[in-house]
Amino acid sequence: MADASLAAIAEPAKTDADAARRVRRQPLAGRRYALEIRQHMGWRRQALILAAALLVGLAISAAILVAAGVPADELANEFVMQTFLDGQNFRAVLFQAAPMILVGLAGSLAFRARFWNLGLEGQMIWGAIGATAVSMWQIGPETLRLPLMFAAAIGCGLLWVLGPAWLKIRLGVNEIISTLMLNYMAANFLLHLVYGGWKDPKDNFPYSPQFRAFERLPELGAGVSSAIVLAAMVALFAWWLVGVSRAGLYLRFVDANPRVAHANGVPVRRTIYGAVLLSGAMAGLAGFAVASGQEGRLTQAFYQGYGFSGILIAFLARNNPLAATVVALLVAALFVTGRSLQVFYQVPFSMVQLIQAIIVVCVASSDFFIRHRLRRVGGEAAQ
Amino acid sequence: MSSAIALNWLASTPDFAVPYALAALGLIISERAGVLSLGAEGLMLVGALAGIGAQLALGQPAVSLVLAMLAASAVSLLFAVMVIWLRVNQVIAGLALVFFCQGLTALVGSLAEWTNHATEGIGGMALWPLSLLPGVGRLFEQNAMVWLTLPIFIAVAWFFSRTSAGLRLRAVGENPQAADAAGIRVAMWRLAAVLAGSALVGLAGAYISVVSTKLWIAGMTGGRGWIAVGLVIFARWSPWKALVGALLFGCIEALIPQLAAAGVQLPQYFVMMTPYAVTLGVMVWVALARRGGDDEPGALGQPYVREERR
Amino acid sequence: MSNALELIGIRKSFDGFAALTDAHFAARWGEVHALLGENGAGKSSLMNIAAGLYAPEAGQLLVDDNVVRFAGPADSARHRIGMVHQHFKLVRPFTVAENILLTAPAPAEFQSHGERLREISRDIRNKASELGFEIDPAKRIDALSIAEQQRVEILKVLLAGARILILDEPTAVLTDQEAARLLQTVRSLARAGSAVVLVTHKMADVKTYADRVTVMRGGRTVATLEPGATPVAELVKLTVGESIATQGFQAAKSARGPVRLTVRGLRSAASAQGRRVLDGVELQLHAGEIYGLAGVGGNGQGELAGAIMGLPDAGGALEGEIHLEGHGDLKAMGAPERRNVGIAAIPADRYGLALAGSLSVAENYAIGRVHTGRYGPAWHLRRGRIQDDTREAVRAFDVQGVRSVAQKAALLSGGNAQKLVLAREFGKSPSLVLAHSPSRGLDVRASAEVHARLRAARDSGAAVLLISEDLDEVLQLADRVGVMTRGRIAGEFAQPADRQAIGQAMVDHG
Repeated sequence: MADASLAAIAEPAKTDADAARRVRRQPLAGRRYALEIRQHMGWRRQALILAAALLVGLAISAAILVAAGVPADELANEFVMQTFLDGQNFRAVLFQAAPMILVGLAGSLAFRARFWNLGLEGQMIWGAIGATAVSMWQIGPETLRLPLMFAAAIGCGLLWVLGPAWLKIRLGVNEIISTLMLNYMAANFLLHLVYGGWKDPKDNFPYSPQFRAFERLPELGAGVSSAIVLAAMVALFAWWLVGVSRAGLYLRFVDANPRVAHANGVPVRRTIYGAVLLSGAMAGLAGFAVASGQEGRLTQAFYQGYGFSGILIAFLARNNPLAATVVALLVAALFVTGRSLQVFYQVPFSMVQLIQAIIVVCVASSDFFIRHRLRRVGGEAAQ
Repeated sequence: MSSAIALNWLASTPDFAVPYALAALGLIISERAGVLSLGAEGLMLVGALAGIGAQLALGQPAVSLVLAMLAASAVSLLFAVMVIWLRVNQVIAGLALVFFCQGLTALVGSLAEWTNHATEGIGGMALWPLSLLPGVGRLFEQNAMVWLTLPIFIAVAWFFSRTSAGLRLRAVGENPQAADAAGIRVAMWRLAAVLAGSALVGLAGAYISVVSTKLWIAGMTGGRGWIAVGLVIFARWSPWKALVGALLFGCIEALIPQLAAAGVQLPQYFVMMTPYAVTLGVMVWVALARRGGDDEPGALGQPYVREERR
Repeated sequence: MSNALELIGIRKSFDGFAALTDAHFAARWGEVHALLGENGAGKSSLMNIAAGLYAPEAGQLLVDDNVVRFAGPADSARHRIGMVHQHFKLVRPFTVAENILLTAPAPAEFQSHGERLREISRDIRNKASELGFEIDPAKRIDALSIAEQQRVEILKVLLAGARILILDEPTAVLTDQEAARLLQTVRSLARAGSAVVLVTHKMADVKTYADRVTVMRGGRTVATLEPGATPVAELVKLTVGESIATQGFQAAKSARGPVRLTVRGLRSAASAQGRRVLDGVELQLHAGEIYGLAGVGGNGQGELAGAIMGLPDAGGALEGEIHLEGHGDLKAMGAPERRNVGIAAIPADRYGLALAGSLSVAENYAIGRVHTGRYGPAWHLRRGRIQDDTREAVRAFDVQGVRSVAQKAALLSGGNAQKLVLAREFGKSPSLVLAHSPSRGLDVRASAEVHARLRAARDSGAAVLLISEDLDEVLQLADRVGVMTRGRIAGEFAQPADRQAIGQAMVDHG
């Protein structure tokens, strides 16, 4: 297809019988090694390699943190103890986890349809804007306000990804660029709102007026927000979709090979649209969770860091919804740790982004060992 | 619009166009060899930071620009190893590179306290005798880097179309199997392309910080790297079309302050959306206008492993 | 006479699969030496070692009686070995001269790129006329026919100085006439002193052109003989390891039924050069018959198959009608509906169209019937039932190598993967079967099983459209034979058909 997007071309060939027989030779320190693609590796070994990569990534990150001025012995204390054992910090992690889980699921679902949804932040922004609009314009009675905000957030997030989805499916427009451009546009629109018409008249700061009590996601007691319950329910939904429903099988085929899927009667377009629109809806929901659950208003920079986090979570979890939930918790912990590192040791928050990138680099590189095998070849000639 | 504003607009266009042009050219070099480089946004930041850092330390713009190019090349080595030898998915590797660079530059910039320190820029150069023309003469007074961009383009275009080395590089990007069978070392050529291309991308970033704004702020490239990626698609991997596209974007960006000066009242943030909206529009237009016959390098984005056929 | 190229005791495996276990080969200067064997015997692998693309795990390589070791294709080229692969290693957007420039040895003194191109073009024209054909060095590869591209490949290795020429299945993509011309050319090269290795599975070529033949089977060398002195039956026995009764044509048991599929005036969109891949295909397919569509590849067969299957890139601007009895024009139906009306498709590109290699055997089997609700409603997929059904199908269709139905489909060998496809497609008692190159890449036994299934489908009333580049396969199976060239059906023949007449129709562009 002449109009295949860059992203489609950039995917390495999924394993198939021909790919199984790929060999390359590399003179390596005088000996010849053959590089082969593995047919199969047990999931236990895969998990081991993944864990090793994570450790390497964390070790490198720790080294950088030490170089940036964090005392080494404090590191273990900070990350592990403070984050998980301290009650208040743990609540903060759970708080942070809800939107993380949602963007992680959003990323996973879109990537399963081979759609690089890098517009998670833009969809979050619009989700929050939608919910805020319901609040600002006081749409609906008090009892229905929160569900209406919820619906508005889903709708807005979904609509913001509809354009790129349609453009890719109908015209072959590269979705990496289109979703990213929409991110920037959404961010600017947000600034336009919070610096303009939606600015809080009370103190003239660039955020919207505070949500009323019934417009906020309720607390469940012990300071835990119900946002996490919302996220858990969405995770269950995603698990059902991918693992139990028929659409999950269709999605697996579309992910493996869209041409084969189509030739075998899978409704490819509908499946891709479904997955991508759901992805946008979940990201919009994440925006709602932050605005209504955490901030309590529309702020100008609430979405920062979630975009790459979503990609990271989906990538580490191999697009599996349940794994994504676990990974999202860990990333939330990373965020919380990052904030306290910022407060106590003046380490800039961009450190978190750097650590995330290092982990992605390590895990992506470790995939090499899962997919390939190095063998020494070409011994002395047999006489 | 008065003629003074129009002149200001045209005169300031090259300054905005140069980063797009250089970044797009760097991407074309790497993509012609078959390596999809999405890390442009990050590499531009690295070049920008390195350029300012060198400038603050040494005060020599030419040296700073060269150091910026070297820094971007060095960082791109990580990306090159990942995609060429470790066969990592080029999209993931590119994204990881961007976020790695964003985090790294923000971190180093704040730790070294380079943020918001103004430096002196590079001198201007008038293109005599055209600069003597009344009125339009101002168009030909640009800084040295603007004039340097053109020879760089000529050199790269000539390399691709008129040298045997350029032929080899293109072969690597079109059909690595054929190149390999011809005895060409695919991995080495791809590495060279990535390093060289990244140097240009770093130069583009350094231009923004050292020449244009003369300071460093975290994230200052503001998506230009991504726009450059779109620009390369628009340009069908041809350096000259990329230059045209860069000028187009330079025009658009240069228009924004001129409109304000002309007293045209537009919502500020909508105006700032323009480059991104235009990029999106350009991508759609390219997709609509495409009618088969791709100029896309045949093996773009695919890691190369020697294959056996059945 | 010394040996130009010799390989002794070669062993090579890929990720655990032993492609070569004990292979020997020796070609002398001035001879045409055929390397004969079925698909999968290891011929290409062995020659790829000689070309420096693979390194053997054990064994020796000798050129002109000297032991050598190659680190890469460049070393092999330096030893004057040139290989023309089955899949050409040409850069399509480049011109002939540019492609050959890539492999040309570096000039002694500095020359500009333009000068080198001019010199290479001169050499190309000279060499081509020496060999008896013409070629324009400034033409782009994608503007050349397959036969012309092959000539470029040969020129490439000759101009790089090759004196040992290896040709891998060179006649697979050529018409009978073009093949004869090619083999005569290489024979004259041999007579002039070069060594020519002809890798092939075609007995006829071996008998006519080879001075000696080495037979390989299952990764090892079985025999080296003189083809002139050996009867074909003996060669066949050595190649396949047993005597397989070569199935001649078997007529259908009952008369054919009414028309089931009518293709009328099928035309695809014109390209920029004004050519249409499908240019007015007219075809009528009856129930209970096998219609064999012969023809050299690249004449629109794939597009016709795609149009019937309902592939997205084949659709679009298609004019004409594809009428299925009782269901109207197929063009109005998407791929999902076509499965519902009883169309079974066995595409040529197994892992590009039929099976998703990274998914399990069970999933690949289930996708055929999941939309009927057999495996549960849309909101709950019953995996247990899928596994049971798959195991049953694997048993019924004798799919080997399935340790568990949850294993990846890519682990199946070619023949077994094809049987899995058959299991899936034929499990639904189809009314129309489209088989495109169904035995490509399959060994003799697997081919026979596939053919038996197609015959059985015909005998139970299905309409079978067999599209194949293998004329032997078509002649064995088809009740009627059509020839496809240049996007249309050039002629139809009843069985028993005259092979010569069919071959002529394949070449005539009328």
